[in-house]
Amino acid sequence: MSLPPHRVDYSPIIERPPIKWPNGERVALWIAPNVEHYEYMPKKHGPRDPWPRTPYPDVQQYSYRDYGNRVGFWRMLEVLDQYKIRSCVSLNLAVLEHFPEIRDAMVERDWDYMSHGIYNTRYLYAYTEEEEREFYRDNVETLKRQTGKQLKGMLGPAISGTVRTPDLMTEAGLIYHTDWMHDDQPVPINVETGKLVSVPYSIELNDSPLFRVNYEADYFAEICKRQFDQLYKEGAESARVMCIALHPFLIGQPHRIKYLDEILSYITSHSDIWMTTADDIAEYYIENYYDQAVEHAKQYRV
Amino acid sequence: MPAERRQGMDHTHHEWSPISTRGKLNWPNDARVALCAIVTLEHTEWELPEGSFSADQAGGLGVRPFPDYPRFSHREYGHRVGIFRVLDVLQKLGINATVAMDSQTAEHYPYLVKYCLDQGCEIIAHGVSGSQMISGNMSVEAETIFIRSSMEIMEKATGKKPRGWSGTDYGESERTPDLLRQAGFDYVCDWVNDEQPYPMRDGLTALPTMLEMDDLFTMSNRRVTVDRFAQSLKDGFDAMYHDGASNGRLMTINLHPWLIGQPFRIGYLEEALGYAMGHEKVWAATGSEIVDWYRDNEPI
Repeated sequence: MSLPPHRVDYSPIIERPPIKWPNGERVALWIAPNVEHYEYMPKKHGPRDPWPRTPYPDVQQYSYRDYGNRVGFWRMLEVLDQYKIRSCVSLNLAVLEHFPEIRDAMVERDWDYMSHGIYNTRYLYAYTEEEEREFYRDNVETLKRQTGKQLKGMLGPAISGTVRTPDLMTEAGLIYHTDWMHDDQPVPINVETGKLVSVPYSIELNDSPLFRVNYEADYFAEICKRQFDQLYKEGAESARVMCIALHPFLIGQPHRIKYLDEILSYITSHSDIWMTTADDIAEYYIENYYDQAVEHAKQYRV
Repeated sequence: MPAERRQGMDHTHHEWSPISTRGKLNWPNDARVALCAIVTLEHTEWELPEGSFSADQAGGLGVRPFPDYPRFSHREYGHRVGIFRVLDVLQKLGINATVAMDSQTAEHYPYLVKYCLDQGCEIIAHGVSGSQMISGNMSVEAETIFIRSSMEIMEKATGKKPRGWSGTDYGESERTPDLLRQAGFDYVCDWVNDEQPYPMRDGLTALPTMLEMDDLFTMSNRRVTVDRFAQSLKDGFDAMYHDGASNGRLMTINLHPWLIGQPFRIGYLEEALGYAMGHEKVWAATGSEIVDWYRDNEPI
């Protein structure tokens, strides 16, 4: 019997049958800007306090994040455009409603979207099953109405969830979940109905945890390049996924932007990389490797 | 109130305005970057008044039980020593400081008021002390008195009404911008969401600070080293100077003399700001000069 939460079968990466990306690329690289809105006066609901620094509002922290939508997003966009990056946005869906210029810029570039909840100040932890079911209905409907796209995946709002989350995601038609930081390849997640995979996101190559403390963007550039080098080497035998997670209010700061350019310049100078999105990785994996991975993992059950 | 899902902001203090859609802001003499140095002079109280709120836990040894000699005196260093180093550097580089001064400093350190005025600094209001911030827990009566008394004490101490407001630790309630305007303030520096001034409701102007260029936030809260902070100021200036060619940018930095005015740190500030001021199209100006220019010269 596996240990709780019984969602993932153990499967050591060195024993797995090799996987290949569509054109034999070594690394599938996806860029995940977190396009978010944090509420000025959120309602505290559940165990996490959106603005722990002060009684609400916290104008410093609120406006720091709002900077991302007013200024940082646009500066980040210039660099992503320069490298023709088709991002897969981790999206607070209410951004589409509040800030149509941002929606239009994303739609124009045919980006993909995974849900990151409605607002980054509304967490899933305390949702009832029915509330969470309604949440996915809202997510799917809002994305479709605003962008024409079908919602396929989710990074939970501020990376929150419930124990029911994977089951309710597939019930709503989603195929991937990026809250799992457990692997360098997609991994089947056990659900009651349908198929769900985790697509590797990153809380390491991620400007938010880094720049919350005393790392700076030169270090971010260095670790992104190191990560890429290692995965590129390993990916010659069995393909890997690499994600770089961005937040416009952080990477879009004037003192950081040149380091994003440095990262993308380095990575895109290589051949054999699949510049893609989590939507496409999940679909390709489910189509080609999901069943094989489930079958292979059975031998490790105890 | 939780946000309603509709176009625009989830509060009424200012409009939604992405920088990509704005007209060109032209600074005087074709400058690309307006550089504003806020120097925050705040008194740390020996004991916190009952019912007051303070969010600032950072710097030195943090907050310790009463009596906290190290914290009290570490901050006091700014008033006794650090301020003179900071203003010397700024003056040498041709940057006229905007000094955000709390009313306890203004009342009890007349030497500093005179010194700043003699240096040609603009003095703006900064609440009552570095130990008390405005928060959503304040009653409207208490907040009104807090803001008005700060305005009155500053006027008495400096001889004129302060035009700008910088809240202690960027503290505001939902009412603060309205109360500031009603008290007669022209501009507010608490909102860190932009690289240009912008209008707030009913005539107040926002003079946004770059939070990451606030020495307290970056070096004390995030614990970035001073050499890296200086590098960020230079890198940040470069990007704003580049972007400022197509639409003028505002680089407002916030300096705390007890912190950046330490002997080992001051040289890094001089190096970074010297780098910025070595460029041709930089306009070093006070908060009021920037706000006045912005109000008189609509972006086109």
